Amino acid sequence: MEPYTGTINSGGAKPEIKIDELTSERVKFILTNTDLSMANALRRIMIAEVATIAIDMVEFELNTSVLADEFIAHRLGLIPLDSTEAEKIKYSRECSCQGACKECSVELNLHVKCTEEDTTKDVTSRDLVSNDPRVTPIQDGLKDPGILIAKLRKGQEIKVKCIAKKGVAKEHAKWSPCAAVAFEYDPFNKLRHAHYWIEDDEKKEWPASKNAEKDFPPGDDEVFDFTAKPNRFYFEVETIGSMKPEDIVMNAFKKLLEKISSVQMGLTTNDVNAINREPPREF
Amino acid sequence: MESVELMETENSEAEQEPPTPEIIIDDILDFKTDKGTIPDPRSVTFTIIGEDHTLGNALRYTIMLNPEVEYCGYSIPHPSEEKLNLRIQTTENITAIEALSKGLEDLRTMCDYIKEKFIKTNLKFDKKASQDEN
Ligand SMILES: [Zn+2]
Repeated sequence: MEPYTGTINSGGAKPEIKIDELTSERVKFILTNTDLSMANALRRIMIAEVATIAIDMVEFELNTSVLADEFIAHRLGLIPLDSTEAEKIKYSRECSCQGACKECSVELNLHVKCTEEDTTKDVTSRDLVSNDPRVTPIQDGLKDPGILIAKLRKGQEIKVKCIAKKGVAKEHAKWSPCAAVAFEYDPFNKLRHAHYWIEDDEKKEWPASKNAEKDFPPGDDEVFDFTAKPNRFYFEVETIGSMKPEDIVMNAFKKLLEKISSVQMGLTTNDVNAINREPPREF
Repeated sequence: MESVELMETENSEAEQEPPTPEIIIDDILDFKTDKGTIPDPRSVTFTIIGEDHTLGNALRYTIMLNPEVEYCGYSIPHPSEEKLNLRIQTTENITAIEALSKGLEDLRTMCDYIKEKFIKTNLKFDKKASQDEN
């Protein structure tokens, strides 16, 4: 018997990636010749485990607006901050400081007062002043009005200090770099993984998705292959603006490699070695 | 200055540290010999703390590809516990720990390979797009 050398080295088709579309907002790509579990790991990491920066603590000095402190604090948390340099910022739990410092956090200040009669003043993400030029609220050109946080009437004022920290969406969705990750395989349902609910006609009631144009339609008299496995995965990653879409994918791969490393570390350092490595040969 | 109030953007429970990955040997099948009962390292359940379906399923796949592995399966006993149970049963040629190490190494190779593919495709795509613009 030939010695087993591993997934990539053991012959057969090797994984491929084809990018179909790449803009500042989204990347569309097709991942082929790999397992569903691998594609799904990539999808799950992009949604929940790619680190970004988001406001995590808000210190209220003044709030005479109609909105409650916690309401504003929550809205501030959801504002996308430029996270392209997130790798260079530490998690505050891994930092040696007490609470927050320059290495593990970014301070953003917001101070707006409405002084005009008979108009409302918008408080937006553009009013946030960051102490770190790398981490600022995202802005699409100078014409971008920013994200609305609150509206003030004459005499009302908001003055807050925000501490932004690094985190992952597994802890809170505000840290997710993705607005959406579309994921599909087998658009013709050749594998019968989907059971369509129909009234009369399956073809009419369930039109094929866009990805069907890039897939291989079944023949008219094609028999169901119960050994077939999905091996063509259609991704569409849409960013919220805190990170470039291709960077989300890259960081997801890095994160997966990190996860593998940490388990490998655990395997060498833990009491795993205490058990007998030699299998009993006698039966 | 009015009263200063500290407020987190959401509940403070989220401040808990996520557990760092840690492996525990959860269950080993006992193997009976004429010299007494000894644990059989060929059928082991590993408990990995801090991991979930993301790693569990992909790892299960690469471990199962190994022809020396007779069985590999994983489960998450409870969704609110960051805990992953990974069961491996092997042939007499290797131990479960070896199978797990091999599976991790294979997963790394595969992940590295796909990552490099993405970098290459991305570079090519950028060039093409900028050429079209000029
Ligand atoms: Zn610090």
